Amino acid sequence: MRSDASVQGTVPHTAAVRSSGARLFFKRLFKQKSLICMSVPFVIWIFVFKYVPLWGWMIAFQHYRPNMGMFDQEWVGWSQFRFLFEDDSFLRVIRNTFAMAVIKLVLGFVTAITLAVLLNELRIAMFKRTVQTISYLPHFISWVVAANIISTSLSIDGGIVNQVLMWLHLIDKPIMWLGVGHYFWGILGISEVWKDVGWNTIVYLAAMTMIDPSQYEAAEIDGAGRFQRILRVTLPGLRPVIVILLIMNLGSILETGFEPQYLMGNGMNADFSENLEIFVLKYGISMGNFSLATAAGIFKTVISFILLFSANHIAKRVGDERLF
Amino acid sequence: MSGYQVSAGVLNCKCLQKRLTNYLERGTKHLDQKKLGTLALIVATAASLAACSGGNGNNGSGSSASSSESAGSGSPSASASASETASSSPAADKTPVTFTYFNANSQVPDIDSNKTEIGKALEDQTGVNFKMQFPVGDVNTKIGTMIASGDYPDVLAPDTAIDKILDAKAFIPLEDLIDQYGPNIKRVYEPYYNLMKQADGHIYFLPFSPVVGDYIPNPTIDQGAFFIQRRVLKEFNYPKIKTLDEYFDLIKKYNDAHKDDKLTGFTSLTYDWRTMGIFNPPMHLAGYPNDGDVIVDMQTHAADVYSNDDVTKRWLKKLNEVNNEGLYDQSSFVNNYDQYLAKISSGKVLGFFDYGWQADQAIQNIKKSGNDDLDYMPLPIVFDQNTKDQYLDPPSFVDNRGVGITTSAKDPVRIIQFFDNMLKEENQVMIQWGFKGETYEVNDKGRYYRTPEEIEMLKDNAKQQSIGFTYFNYSWPMYGGGSTLSDGNSFNAGRQPEVAQASFTEGDKLILSKYGVQTFSELFAKPDDRPWYPAWSISIEQGSPAEIFQQKSKDVKLKYFPKLVLAKPDQFDAIWNEYLDAFNKLDVKGFEDTLTKSIADKIAKVTGGSSGN
Repeated sequence: MRSDASVQGTVPHTAAVRSSGARLFFKRLFKQKSLICMSVPFVIWIFVFKYVPLWGWMIAFQHYRPNMGMFDQEWVGWSQFRFLFEDDSFLRVIRNTFAMAVIKLVLGFVTAITLAVLLNELRIAMFKRTVQTISYLPHFISWVVAANIISTSLSIDGGIVNQVLMWLHLIDKPIMWLGVGHYFWGILGISEVWKDVGWNTIVYLAAMTMIDPSQYEAAEIDGAGRFQRILRVTLPGLRPVIVILLIMNLGSILETGFEPQYLMGNGMNADFSENLEIFVLKYGISMGNFSLATAAGIFKTVISFILLFSANHIAKRVGDERLF
Repeated sequence: MSGYQVSAGVLNCKCLQKRLTNYLERGTKHLDQKKLGTLALIVATAASLAACSGGNGNNGSGSSASSSESAGSGSPSASASASETASSSPAADKTPVTFTYFNANSQVPDIDSNKTEIGKALEDQTGVNFKMQFPVGDVNTKIGTMIASGDYPDVLAPDTAIDKILDAKAFIPLEDLIDQYGPNIKRVYEPYYNLMKQADGHIYFLPFSPVVGDYIPNPTIDQGAFFIQRRVLKEFNYPKIKTLDEYFDLIKKYNDAHKDDKLTGFTSLTYDWRTMGIFNPPMHLAGYPNDGDVIVDMQTHAADVYSNDDVTKRWLKKLNEVNNEGLYDQSSFVNNYDQYLAKISSGKVLGFFDYGWQADQAIQNIKKSGNDDLDYMPLPIVFDQNTKDQYLDPPSFVDNRGVGITTSAKDPVRIIQFFDNMLKEENQVMIQWGFKGETYEVNDKGRYYRTPEEIEMLKDNAKQQSIGFTYFNYSWPMYGGGSTLSDGNSFNAGRQPEVAQASFTEGDKLILSKYGVQTFSELFAKPDDRPWYPAWSISIEQGSPAEIFQQKSKDVKLKYFPKLVLAKPDQFDAIWNEYLDAFNKLDVKGFEDTLTKSIADKIAKVTGGSSGN
């Protein structure tokens, strides 16, 4: 495009610019050769693992059978997508996916930032480190184990949650927490927070160390109390990090995870626990219908793409940090 | 007609094999035993090839004739030239090799087969070791990912996912391999070839249920039954109970008398694919055996989905009532398989419906604790006094479960030779009975039996694993359950009357005597003849409307059944109607038609009538 436009302009001048531009480019390329060398593996990695698989999207338009070649398959057009959108449960699945995503996003951000701010205010290093370590720990438990811990604590025969609530006389008979659909989102949200809150604080704690201590001193001299300092110095200092993370998380909002829903889900809470991943597993992989699974994957990618770009656009409009 | 021809062929094969083996034995006395065995095997294979390929007049019969000739002369070159045809010289046979085997039928720890005693013995015979792997979690997902990657273990028993594997053409056809290397496989499986052949005429896997010899029924209950704890029966002086109402009345009476023990009246398993505990009872209560999602009419052979019928309503209504009395274990709907087993093992559950094989681990745990009061009694409970129960399986050939060799297998020949070696009668004895003097004895009449010490020792799951029974007595090419050995002993140790009697505990004997029977299965009615049985083994095409119906109906049932059971009694009917609406939106009629047609096809195949159509 650019070269086209310049060709229409004054010819001799453009030629000169172009040759010097190219020369400049190669000069710079040579200068930064070590940087280029370092980044090449990653570009290749992205190409191989993120772009090459895209050609597999063809499967979504076929009635794919694994034992036949890619081009011997039967082409079925949009019928896989039609199956998705015409299925009664698909709408419910989408609703669950979005609800769980929003809960996870909001709860995740609020709790992580709060905990990070609180940790930052701690004076006793020993105590701070202990709290940090304890809050990181659940992150390293796999979901299989975590789900068992959760379902055991919520069990109606002797689960700790019911025991405590009974003891406090808040309820008079045990509640089957995982048996009531409406509770599922809440249980999932709390479980996710328990598991990941400590881990998520790391990036905020790191960002806080970047805030210039003189700002705090100045605020203190101006008479700002502790809460005022948090409100006026710490949080504004974190703002760029928060916005960038928010945009990035919006891009993967539909990845609500698979393990917790699968492991804690059952017939009684299926209306609320089934998300896109489980739907794909049931009707795609379990039935050997890889085409349907791929179609659902494409749908997810398109939605994520739209969300990511709109978030970035909004960030640009309000004049904040942005991804690109 | 065709059935007659096949059996005649078998006879021919056997005669020829015998004569040739005799001849060989006379002519090759100077060879050592092992070589002799191999030679005999090769020649027998070749002979059976020649006999069974009949009038085809292909070069197979020609080459086999020449090989038997040279083998008969007993010269050193004999084995070499024979190995050219059968490609199984003694040296090549035993090079140690390890294959992988993924067995989706059971969930036990992964193991190298040669770490078990039986596996070691088989390795000594063949040089083959198997790295055996078992699923964790959902089988369909595991198999689905295997298919997606195209990367299979050498040997695979895909259990419920077998249709997917066949659909993906992941198994290699076995007929030629069997013809060439598997005289024993042929001996055991040939009568069932008709049922084993897929639509394209190939045999892709070896099922686990080819009955050899006379059929011996199981003296204990490994199929469906309503289990009740023995202390309940004892307390009321062993009453005869037949109907569902009587069953729950008894449980209620017992529970009322022992309020302080915090007992659970009745529990069910509803986890993952193991949903039979709540889905299947209506069928059994109405007097039908386990045909899966449908009841098959004895006269018209029409399949009827019973989940939207009155029988299901009646069953759930009863559970609702039981739940309202505080007897139903509400956590049934959230417990996983482990939690369910733990619950039963605890001895606090008065009753449950399940299949013997599924609850067995828990029941064995209770047996080990030695408190007979906590042990269970299986009963054939039905809805009405005049219903005849049909819990026991009719003799049947399950043709959609089995083990096959995958396209990833590096050396199918070695594997099929291993299979064939396994099917030798002495190895079948080892796999089921173990080692003489260690796990079984033979009396002077040639009958096998086990001493009380051996029986006690084998109750230990760890021992079962270290000997290898856990890993070998199912999921391999094998004689079907209930087979008889050529010397008249039972193939299954558990079905040998001597063992069954000796393995009953004092408590077992007492309760059996109270009911005036010798074995547990005597309490159950004899199974009627059902040539299509079991309808659940009918394969359903991948991704077809019928399969989608199965998945969706399961989802609907899993959603509504808990609601129906846990609802307040006055809301039951409203929820039932809601459930019917949701269920009948699915293509019930289409599914029934598909199954009715498949049942007709299977009946035709089994009875051999119109298989040509």
